[in-house]
Amino acid sequence: MVMTSVKAPATSGRRAPGVRVSGLSVVYRTPAGELPAVSGVDLELVPGSITGVVGESGSGKSTLALSLLNAVQPPGRISAGSVEIDGLGDVVRLRGEELRKARGRHIGYVFQAAQNSLNPLKTVGKQLLDLGRSHDVADLRALVRDARDLLGRMGMDGARVLDSHQHELSGGMRQRVGIMLALVLNAHLVVLDEPTTALDMITQANILRIVREVHEERGLTTLVITHDLGVVAEIADRLAVMYGGRVVEQGPTRQVLGAPRHPYTQGLLRAIPRLVGDIDEARALPGRPPTLGTIPATGCVFRERCPLRAEICATAEPRAISLGESIVACHVAEAGAGPEGRTRQAAEARKAREEHT
Amino acid sequence: MTVIARRLGGHLARGLVMILVVTTISFVIIRNIPGDPLLARYEKLIEQGMSPEQAERATAVLYGFMPSGSLWEQYLDYMSGLFRLDLGQSVSMPGAQVTDVLASAAKWTVLPVLVGTLLSFLVGVTMGVYAAIRRSGKLGDVLAVSGSLLHGLPQYVLALLLSAIFTTLLPILSSGGTADIMVEPGFNAAYIGSLIEHATLPIATYALASYGGWILAMKSSVVTVLGDDFILAAELRGLRRGTVFRYVARNAILPLFTILALSLGLLFGGAIFIERIFNYPGLGLLLIDSITNRDYALMGGAFLLITVAIVIANIAADMLYTAIDPRVRSGEGGAA
Ligand SMILES: Nc1ncnc2c1ncn2[C@@H]1O[C@H](COP(=O)(O)OP(=O)(O)O)[C@@H](O)[C@H]1O
Ligand SMILES: [Mg+2]
Repeated sequence: MVMTSVKAPATSGRRAPGVRVSGLSVVYRTPAGELPAVSGVDLELVPGSITGVVGESGSGKSTLALSLLNAVQPPGRISAGSVEIDGLGDVVRLRGEELRKARGRHIGYVFQAAQNSLNPLKTVGKQLLDLGRSHDVADLRALVRDARDLLGRMGMDGARVLDSHQHELSGGMRQRVGIMLALVLNAHLVVLDEPTTALDMITQANILRIVREVHEERGLTTLVITHDLGVVAEIADRLAVMYGGRVVEQGPTRQVLGAPRHPYTQGLLRAIPRLVGDIDEARALPGRPPTLGTIPATGCVFRERCPLRAEICATAEPRAISLGESIVACHVAEAGAGPEGRTRQAAEARKAREEHT
Repeated sequence: MTVIARRLGGHLARGLVMILVVTTISFVIIRNIPGDPLLARYEKLIEQGMSPEQAERATAVLYGFMPSGSLWEQYLDYMSGLFRLDLGQSVSMPGAQVTDVLASAAKWTVLPVLVGTLLSFLVGVTMGVYAAIRRSGKLGDVLAVSGSLLHGLPQYVLALLLSAIFTTLLPILSSGGTADIMVEPGFNAAYIGSLIEHATLPIATYALASYGGWILAMKSSVVTVLGDDFILAAELRGLRRGTVFRYVARNAILPLFTILALSLGLLFGGAIFIERIFNYPGLGLLLIDSITNRDYALMGGAFLLITVAIVIANIAADMLYTAIDPRVRSGEGGAA
């Protein structure tokens, strides 16, 4: 393994940006009309933190991640809300060249299917140069050097990889190349959408360690998406749990995992098979996650599968309330909480939603 | 490099087999023509007072093999003649070597077919890209529909239509022959102008016949590539529009090179009808004339040359493909 240390790149005072997602809704056009994949999401990425987003597949994680770059693909569109990024403003309003330059340069994105994120006809090195030229990098040699170093840190022969075409690299190598391309321009907000799926355990652990290292070294704000609670437990400072297009619970990782308030989070945790203990203790969450067409229009999106379901759950959508350090959207949790743990964000969120629709 | 050599080798081997088959068929046809023209010729020469040896030699010159001798001897004779590029003599054009006749006719087929194909490839591919990008708009619809219509029209119908429109209804172009016979051949404006005028309709037919196919193929290829993950990834990395466009175009055009080979082959075959309709003296017209004149040596030669043209077109298209696609180059397979 080649372990070259990367000198801290000249960041000219750029700091880890904060990100504030407010009242964000994204809809996809379907034969049944426009259906929401993300509904009224409020989420804050604290500067310098790693935030993990978990949830079963179809819960809207990738759609949320793409919204951070204002890159929701047709037939989808952002229908309401804003994404304020320090230094960029509201990216939902960015267009054309401004938007293009923000992508890559300010926001590094590791694609969900990072194994297929390379042009099959060009070497990695040529694509790196395309990236550099697209962002007017003056010193392309330095760029190549940085890329080689990053690849080296991830346990690859940088020079060889830069000289390779996609088909000459394994899935894990391609994924690491994807990560390199997201980091090499020195973006300070990095979004990784399931960066370790389709990787073996060891490579997975390695990549997460490197993400964490680079994050700390460069002072990044990082968002990691995964459906694997083990992955976030390992690296995330904060955690957001998504279900049916909503963030149902968010807070510091240790709080959300240690004292989950939302029945969905509790169910997810119960479903993790443990290495020690009775295998029967791991109980899969009953039922299936909703698809766009089956997300309930009124009431709580999780009620169909909820063991704590009450009458009110069918009629009213739960508000997001602060419980300790967490924010939870659940009628039962709300009822169980004292009056002091009342809405902080909920009122604002509702207002934002109403303004946009 | 070795992969290219290996693929080239494979193509040459396959091409050789194909050529062998076609020549063997020509031989069998010539050998088994009803009424045995060889024997008839031989007997006629004897009647005219030639000695048997003289008559035999004269017949051999004409058909490429001796009328007497075993089937094998005749076959080997004919084949060895081919390797010396000796295809015998034409009956309908007394004294003319088949090879020379073919050589002078070939350029009138190869040039228009190549120009027409290249033209329609360039225009069709460009329009295909537009049709793909504007596929939800009016322009996209118009392009796609025009592509389908042209694609569905048989070549000879197209040729008849063009001929009817431009030589009868609206006689602004002349057809028949390669140039006006009244114009002095040579490197002068009048002759070159006349050459172009006469070639316009055949070239337009070749171009229009394949143009629809290029639009449709390129459109669907571009749509596929646009949906590929790496294009979205390139956009998410903030690559310039022009760069992303080049990524799309280069990946999308790749599968079209395989179609290019097929298309060239089809056009060379189709030249038979097109040249007949425009009375344009290329290989196709030569082939038809040789059939009507029962000029079997010429017929075999024309078949052979058309086959060779198809083989070469195939090889050229595949080499182009290999040069562009690194997956093929490094021996990974990719599309065949
Ligand atoms: N292009 C699309 N067209 C229609 N529906 C889509 C499209 N992309 C995603 N969806 C739907 O939006 C929902 C959220 O998808 P996604 O954001 O990919 O979830 P996740 O990343 O959590 O698996 C899913 O129900 C999915 O079916
Ligand atoms: Mg996803």
